[in-house]
Amino acid sequence: MRRGMAAAAVVLTLSLAGCGDGTSGSSSETTSTPPPVNNVQPVIVDAGPVISGQPAGNANVLFTTVTICMPGTATCQTIDHVTVDTGSTGLRILASQLTLSLPGSMNANGQPIANCIQFADNTYQWGPVQKADIKMAGEVASSVPIQVVGPSNFPAAPTDCTAGGTPVQTVSDLGANGILGVGLFRQDCGPACASATSPPAIYYSCPASACSITSVSVAEQLQNPVSMFPQDNNGLAITLPQVPAGGAVSVSGTLIFGVGTQANNTLSGVQAQATDRFGNFTTTFNGVRYSSSFIDSGSNGLFFLDSATTGLPDCARQEAGFYCPGSTTGFSAINSGPNPNISTTTVSTNIAFAIANAATLFNSPSYAFNNLGGSNPGAFDWGLPFFFGRTVFIGIEGRSSPAGMGPYWAY
Amino acid sequence: MIQRTLVVSAALLAVALSGFAALGGSEESVISDQIRLQASRKVVPEHGYRVHEITREDGTLIKEYVSFEGKVFGVSWKGPTLPDLSQLLGSNFAEFRNGLHPQAGRRKAAVVRTGDLVVESSGHMRAFEGRAYLTSMLPAGVTQDVVQ
Repeated sequence: MRRGMAAAAVVLTLSLAGCGDGTSGSSSETTSTPPPVNNVQPVIVDAGPVISGQPAGNANVLFTTVTICMPGTATCQTIDHVTVDTGSTGLRILASQLTLSLPGSMNANGQPIANCIQFADNTYQWGPVQKADIKMAGEVASSVPIQVVGPSNFPAAPTDCTAGGTPVQTVSDLGANGILGVGLFRQDCGPACASATSPPAIYYSCPASACSITSVSVAEQLQNPVSMFPQDNNGLAITLPQVPAGGAVSVSGTLIFGVGTQANNTLSGVQAQATDRFGNFTTTFNGVRYSSSFIDSGSNGLFFLDSATTGLPDCARQEAGFYCPGSTTGFSAINSGPNPNISTTTVSTNIAFAIANAATLFNSPSYAFNNLGGSNPGAFDWGLPFFFGRTVFIGIEGRSSPAGMGPYWAY
Repeated sequence: MIQRTLVVSAALLAVALSGFAALGGSEESVISDQIRLQASRKVVPEHGYRVHEITREDGTLIKEYVSFEGKVFGVSWKGPTLPDLSQLLGSNFAEFRNGLHPQAGRRKAAVVRTGDLVVESSGHMRAFEGRAYLTSMLPAGVTQDVVQ
């Protein structure tokens, strides 16, 4: 997956910038409806951030540029190549890329609060929760709890966070400068982490001695930045153009904030499907229903089932986890879920897709592929290839829209 | 087997857990898991094996599949949080780690198949699921399909 494509890379550098556009919105009016703002945020699939003169070079990673500021001030930093991840919630910035000294979140005893995110492949990210204003397009989310990943001047990750796993806390490990989690949920954890009796290993309090698992109120947890905008806060849409079968070196698209809130985010020509409370829905393939399926822009392929079920050969060790068929193979599957507006009605959508040889794709000069896939036993993980050639709406949990109440997908 | 389901309340004793093990370990290790996970547990008898179902307060369900010889031949998990795989896989964890192929840009799912050990871990924030089993320890007449 790592190729020496340094020559054509656009070097986007971190920069400190005074983003002194002042506070948006009118301050003295009694109306609660803020004036419309620019809700279109550019995104790109490209070779990724440059590390020691070389791009990270991972396939199918969707990036955007986020401006974060000291809360309530015009002291800001713009960070490029932050991964747009619909499979998680909350902004996570690598400490190595952060120049601002943001205020930390503290518990009632004045001890720092830390956050641990664990991934299914036994990797993790650890670091303190700090607060920042987040600016994208013309939208501002104020004083949002974010995770600062892996700072050197903070206690090390406790063993129940690491769980014997591998840290993903450097640009080279992550292939990005941070993660922008804009998924279905408003918090990364929700009520489970507010439990006073036995919260999971996600939030920690960190006195000088050692960090230990703690409960944190829902409001103090990492938040979906979109749900904290003053407007356009009920969801978002991701639009990416289709790419040719051989892939593309880079692909540009947009995040559009809000669902049915402005002329550019109406739900025309799409169908909405509610998810279950875990953010999953059913994908039916060859007559078999897989009820733990999901859509995730942070997965870089279409990961589904296994070699025995799909007939697709697994790749050799270097591309382990991906499929390597002798020739590109077409499939179809059906995604289904309740209509968010009429829960007794099931909405089904047929999805056609193809899987090419991953080793061949990785050896090409391209970084964006609509036919990269791999295994994910027992479920479909509709990763970034699903987004090419579509507008995909995300309805945030508990927020209403013309499509109904989130959580839902519409495409 | 008199009762179809035996419900055991969570032990509240602060016991030493030095003998901790899970997959491939003894049935007693399941009780250690329950204490560590601060969870409730019930035992469901099946044809040829028993299943200890451990439910965490956040709703995460962990199943440990035990042969009549008292050995844990499989484990599975499903729910909003990922259990500590180093605990659940016990002495097999190092083999799982060695079988992983770190790939930047893909941090979602992991499948490891060595000679005997199979681990499948999938999902996303708020919805994890997976299973692990030891092929050589499957009871006679029982296939890996029961571990789910």
